[in-house]
Amino acid sequence: MPIITVDNIHKNYGPIQALKGVSFKVPEGSVFGILGPNGSGKTTLLGILLDVLKATSGSYQLFDEAPAKKHRQQIGTLLETPNFYHYLSAVQNLRINARIKGRDEKDIDRVLDIVDLTNRKHSKFSTYSLGMKQRLAVASCLLGNPSVLMFDEPTNGLDPVGIAETRELIKRLNKEGKTIIMASHLLDEVEKVCSHVAVLMKGTLITHGHVDEILVNEDIVELGTDNIDQLLSILQNFPASISVRKNDNHIEAIFASGEAQLGRINQYCFEKGVVLSHLRVRRKSLEAKFFELTKAN
Amino acid sequence: MLHLLKIEWLKLKNYRTFWILSALYLISIFGINYIVYRIQENIYNAKQAKGMAELVIGSRPYSFPTVWQMTSYVSSYLLFLPGLLLIISITNEYSYKTHRQNIIDGWSRKDFISVKLVLAVIVAFISMLMVFITALSFGYSSASSFDTENIFYLGYFFIQTLSYCMVALLFSILFKRGALAIGVFFLYSLVLENLIAKPISHYFNDAGRFFPLESTDTLIPLPVFESMQRQISAAPNYTVFLIVAIIYLVLYTFLSIKKFESDDL
Repeated sequence: MPIITVDNIHKNYGPIQALKGVSFKVPEGSVFGILGPNGSGKTTLLGILLDVLKATSGSYQLFDEAPAKKHRQQIGTLLETPNFYHYLSAVQNLRINARIKGRDEKDIDRVLDIVDLTNRKHSKFSTYSLGMKQRLAVASCLLGNPSVLMFDEPTNGLDPVGIAETRELIKRLNKEGKTIIMASHLLDEVEKVCSHVAVLMKGTLITHGHVDEILVNEDIVELGTDNIDQLLSILQNFPASISVRKNDNHIEAIFASGEAQLGRINQYCFEKGVVLSHLRVRRKSLEAKFFELTKAN
Repeated sequence: MLHLLKIEWLKLKNYRTFWILSALYLISIFGINYIVYRIQENIYNAKQAKGMAELVIGSRPYSFPTVWQMTSYVSSYLLFLPGLLLIISITNEYSYKTHRQNIIDGWSRKDFISVKLVLAVIVAFISMLMVFITALSFGYSSASSFDTENIFYLGYFFIQTLSYCMVALLFSILFKRGALAIGVFFLYSLVLENLIAKPISHYFNDAGRFFPLESTDTLIPLPVFESMQRQISAAPNYTVFLIVAIIYLVLYTFLSIKKFESDDL
């Protein structure tokens, strides 16, 4: 069952077309990344799915049914900035969220503990730092342990530790079987976390599908040694590689996806009298892929 | 609805601005009537004018049964305040974007707007209660005996307060920003409507009285010099104005719901 089905959604803000006929499906159990630069329509799309924006045309389904409030109650959502009552404390805010979602208020302590806000739970929201506000928003998403989560730029405003923790949290939630929809302009983030990706550009869906299919069609192997030029010349004769090139102080050998076998490469170099000081396989970066995709459009 | 109201209570319970304004408003209902009551006492107790006031004005306006009408009339000068309460309770949500969050979390748009409409009814009801208490205390102070004649003016006051609250609610939904909604609401209720309604009344046989807020103001005339007022303009048909007021209330409700349900939030 697809968790979300988007069918030919258009959204105009006056003369500006924010979404131009977007369609895709989010499969159950996936981490679905919606990737695109700022202003590409990611938040608009999520806003429509959550009924805070009205689509100009097109339709969508949640849990394979016509969308209704009971569906939104089952989705934990963090859209754009955290929206809370500034004059209320974390607990008072979450109590409102829990009541609206129809969740047990006993869950509040658990979610505050997950995001490490327990010792500040009675402080007013207005006294929180940006990172704490973001964490409280994550806590609100987790209330009642929903099976589907939607995050819009979840690591916005977090420090490096917070970013790493949030990514770990997303991976862990996915392992528990939850479906996660995540909008991001951070290519690296999507690559690290997502199983599926939809790429949005100026309101048009450029491509979507499994991350491995969309983002990787070749492996790049980085090699380093003391004598770069000798390495370059011997690698040119290595049978399986598509091409070899020098890049700053290391060599990049490009292989078809899944064809790079590091053991064999290492053995080959050693037999030719070159001892490697650096050897690693790198997927083609999402960034490179993204530029490729967007240029084509 | 009770479930929705409990959530609204959680929102408002610790919203200090709302409660401070509410308290000041309720005190002011008593206060403004006290001021007018003192003036009344001064006039009626003045030695030189002994008996003159009764002769010209009639019995004390703050005595039963005119006290119901008098208190309602005087209190109606404060009606921009309950409107203000509605405006802050709504535009506050807009500025914190919590109206979006409520929908995201699983309220329908109708849930959000209907609980605000009910809030308007509650505010109007509490206002009426306060006017009732105020009228009772000044009625007894004026050394008159309790009388429920004319107590229907409290009902008119309820309708009038509800109208002001609903207009405020509609303006909040239309303008979204607190300062703008407050500014337009104050200017409209205190100046603009009169500015438009009065000339229209003058040229078109009192038609200006049918303007949204003016129609409910007409329901509660000043209970003093009524015969003189009647020489200036004909007595209004109260049944007609009551119906007009209710039609407006239905219209505000319909427009507010329609607007909130179709808007990008």
